[in-house]
Amino acid sequence: MEKEELKNKIYAFCEAAKGKKKLKEKDIIKGVSEAESVPGDEVKKALREMIDVGKLMYSYGGGASSVEIPSEEYLREKGLIK
Amino acid sequence: MAGKKYNTPLIDDLEKGPWPSFVTEMKKAAKNNEMANDALGHLEKCYSTKRGYWKHGGIVGVLGYGGGVIGRYSEIGDEFPGVAHFHTVRINQPSGFFYNSKALREICDIWDKYGSGLTNVHGSTGDLVLLGTKTEALEPIFAEYSSRGWDLGGSGSALRTPSCCVGPGRCEWSNYDTLDLTYALTQEFQDELHRPTFSYKFKIKSSGCACDCVAALARADLSIIGTWKGDIKIDQAEVKNYAKKMDINAEVVNMCPTQCMSYDGKELKINNAECNRCMHCITRMTKALRPSGERGATLCMGSKAPIVVGSLLSWVIVPFIKLEPPYTELKELIRKIWDWWDENGKPRERIGEVIEIKGMRSFLEAIGVPPQPQQIKEPRKDPFMFYTDADIEGFKAKEAEEKKTGKYKF
Amino acid sequence: MALPQRKTDVGPPHYKQFLPPVIQKNYGKWKYHEVITPGSMVHVAESGDKLWTVRCASPRILSTDTIREIADVADKYCGGYVRFTTRNNVEFLVSEEKQLEPLMKELKSKKYTIGGIGPRITNVVHTQGWVHCHGACTDASGLVKSMMDELYDYFTTKELPNKVRLAVACCVNMCGAVHCSDIAVVAVHTKVPVINHDTFKNMCELPTVIGSCPTRAISPDPAKKSIKINEEKCMYCGNCFTVCPPIDIKNPERDGVAIVVGGKINSLRSNPKFSKLVIPYISNEPPRWPKVVAAIKHIVEVYAKNARKHERIGEWIERIGWEKFFKLTGIDFTFQCIDDFTFMRDTMRTASTFKW
Ligand code: HEM
Ligand code: HEM
Ligand code: HEM
Ligand code: HEM
Ligand code: SF4
Ligand code: SF4
Ligand code: SF4
Ligand code: SF4
Repeated sequence: MEKEELKNKIYAFCEAAKGKKKLKEKDIIKGVSEAESVPGDEVKKALREMIDVGKLMYSYGGGASSVEIPSEEYLREKGLIK
Repeated sequence: MAGKKYNTPLIDDLEKGPWPSFVTEMKKAAKNNEMANDALGHLEKCYSTKRGYWKHGGIVGVLGYGGGVIGRYSEIGDEFPGVAHFHTVRINQPSGFFYNSKALREICDIWDKYGSGLTNVHGSTGDLVLLGTKTEALEPIFAEYSSRGWDLGGSGSALRTPSCCVGPGRCEWSNYDTLDLTYALTQEFQDELHRPTFSYKFKIKSSGCACDCVAALARADLSIIGTWKGDIKIDQAEVKNYAKKMDINAEVVNMCPTQCMSYDGKELKINNAECNRCMHCITRMTKALRPSGERGATLCMGSKAPIVVGSLLSWVIVPFIKLEPPYTELKELIRKIWDWWDENGKPRERIGEVIEIKGMRSFLEAIGVPPQPQQIKEPRKDPFMFYTDADIEGFKAKEAEEKKTGKYKF
Repeated sequence: MALPQRKTDVGPPHYKQFLPPVIQKNYGKWKYHEVITPGSMVHVAESGDKLWTVRCASPRILSTDTIREIADVADKYCGGYVRFTTRNNVEFLVSEEKQLEPLMKELKSKKYTIGGIGPRITNVVHTQGWVHCHGACTDASGLVKSMMDELYDYFTTKELPNKVRLAVACCVNMCGAVHCSDIAVVAVHTKVPVINHDTFKNMCELPTVIGSCPTRAISPDPAKKSIKINEEKCMYCGNCFTVCPPIDIKNPERDGVAIVVGGKINSLRSNPKFSKLVIPYISNEPPRWPKVVAAIKHIVEVYAKNARKHERIGEWIERIGWEKFFKLTGIDFTFQCIDDFTFMRDTMRTASTFKW
């Protein structure tokens, strides 16, 4: 699968869980890799690239870390949107 | 500074008395810093109402990392705007907490520019903790520190900043290079440290001997405790010198837990086969006694604080491992441990808890460590055991072998 | 001004650049050390080279001004080299003997507290408290300051049978790892949390909150789209509050501290031990917590009077028996001291051989 397409799938996966379930990085890698039949390592790489540019972000709450779609406030703070 | 001057009679009382005062430190910082000044007023309010006002950590951090910054907001930020955001930044300390003056000044200069000027040297994790800054300062702080060779420590469901005792840097009892190992592991696992992918936190702490100066056995998921395999070498001339200053029988021989020492007023003897390497005699008579032979460490796992179902001390997993650069065996073992935890742990379950739930056997088999009596205090005392078919086949095969040789092997 | 280019995953600076030359030369080749005074010691290498260390207390919370002052002192006497200990002490690393006396003199004139080496009380491991943590039931720094003002001489001069390691944790998370200290203060909540049902549904995941409770005290409350807590099962651990902010467990009149004793972390003579509960509750009395301080001092004094040389508090108590400890200290034995959580089966007595 093309990397960009994979990234879109990852994003969609996170969007579907938004407000319902806190996703750990592991959940996303497992979920997307099973749904799309892509090796976990590839998903992990794509996911990391997305986090590095603020497309997704690590979050923390309830005593544990998770991955989610950044808020506008976060993007603004990082100078990624105005 | 045009800061508001707070009236702080309760915490002012903590400037009195001989022990160094944290309130004095906060006031020093408050002289030039709005945030530190509001932190003083905020703390006085806590003292007068007997409660805290910090909210749960928020979602803040630096781009790409999932840890190293702990979000902190006040419920009463309107009253104390300087601490409305008051985030913590964890800076990964150098092994053994060694610094020079230049490094300390560099840390201070950056921090004064962007934060409250307050620190914890060190936080309980081992990190050098920068206490109190605003969200918009986080990226600049990270750029300033990282460009000068300082990185953030761990937080969240990740590898936490490894830490160690002073070891070979200044201690004659160290059985391996705690400083080097800690540096090597920290570098090896940068990804696991900065990007939380675990079920929960994972801590590695390394002590060079059974004195365990970093309390690894009580507060690390992986506790690395230095030890040795050879005899304790005795310098009888030094023993004579100690005899002039102390009662060797009362203070050393009779306190030996294995009763493997004797002293007749002339010569000190140790039955090394019975010694359990507790370190008592060596710490009492450091000039006269030293370990010899193979050096390495015991790996123990699982300690944690009482949340949620009671505290644990680490259990012996690998009775002896040699620890020499590049530490390949240990690094591979750690990865196997994480893989098993990843497979079996639910969110917020520390590895010690998962081992309890899934059973020690599942864990040991997964990481390829055989059962050994050094791992336990005593064998099980209930008969509720699991047998796999393979176990029974193994027992039967042994019996068949015995029938052939005519010799029992229990 | 433009910011420098950020770098990721550089890790900590290599420690070697921070080691004084005498350590670099004798790294791993130390022969022995001697404690010179309660705050100074010398390490002697196989080569005969020596390194002197002067240890001072710090309040752990340090201002940048003080860190710079430490750097200045290190420049003047130590070639700039200084380290910190796990227990929040500062150690000045002296390579030339002639610098030792002037260093100690300057530290004294600057009112540094020198000590903490040998069979004494060293600095107190503690947590953030009201200064910086959301869960805190008390203030750790204030307790430490109050305790150590009173126990000051045990840091600077007075000897005890062995080391006494103190710790303060400001909630049962025990960041400060009090569970294996000789004497520790652990702050406790004592009242069932209050739930804000209105914000609950937006802020918390139901299964996570239910799963967070170690005693299964939490069940769903479908009518309110929230949860309810069984008061008979809750032991106020605060874990639910941690995973779900609308559950409020802070209660100024009921939050307080407990005292645990007899823990130890090293393996010298006897195995590491957990600390055990002896005083279940003392009210929060900021800014000085006088009853807590008095209780700790009392336990230290009874230990000093009764223990044998080299016995840690836990070893002394195990030799004489817990019943004897309660008798010697005059501490009331309460229901809280009998484990009804996970450890009852290991902690009840199963023989009639005890002392009166
Ligand atoms: C669910 C539980 C926990 C939560 C939500 C939690 C939260 C926190 C927070 C927010 C801080 C930062 C304090 C600050 O600087 O403002 C902190 C610090 C810390 N926590 Fe926890 N914690 C939890 C459990 C634990 C446990 C079980 C331990 C250890 C056994 C622990 C060890 C620490 C340590 C060592 C620090 C640093 C404290 C210091 O340097 O003084 N935490 N924790
Ligand atoms: C040398 C002294 C000690 C220092 C500096 C110290 C410091 C700390 C710190 C900073 C933490 C937070 C850990 C983290 O987040 O990494 C901690 C946790 C802990 N400490 Fe200590 N502590 C000391 C001694 C002890 C002792 C003697 C014990 C018990 C025997 C102990 C037991 C614990 C426990 C159980 C935790 C929580 C571990 C966990 O679940 O992560 N500590 N300690
Ligand atoms: C699979 C589990 C077990 C079974 C099927 C079992 C069965 C039995 C039986 C049939 C007896 C003899 C009763 C009699 O004399 O009439 C007995 C006695 C006894 N069992 Fe068990 N038992 C089990 C586990 C245990 C365990 C785990 C313990 C203790 C840790 C235990 C302790 C005893 C004791 C103390 C006696 C009395 C012995 C005596 O009077 O000499 N049993 N058990
Ligand atoms: C008789 C036995 C002991 C001797 C001779 C001894 C000696 C020392 C020495 C020389 C140091 C300084 C190490 C250094 O940083 O260079 C030290 C530090 C330390 N020791 Fe021990 N030790 C003994 C027992 C213990 C015990 C039983 C514990 C803990 C329970 C312990 C915990 C520590 C800690 C936490 C440090 C770091 C000191 C600090 O942070 O202030 N030691 N010990
Ligand atoms: S743990 Fe052992 S080797 Fe390390 S500093 Fe302490 S006494 Fe020395
Ligand atoms: S190390 Fe401990 S067990 Fe071994 S001889 Fe010395 S006191 Fe005895
Ligand atoms: S002990 Fe509890 S209140 Fe104190 S710093 Fe740790 S988590 Fe916060
Ligand atoms: S405070 Fe602890 S015991 Fe009480 S309901 Fe919450 S999680 Fe359960």
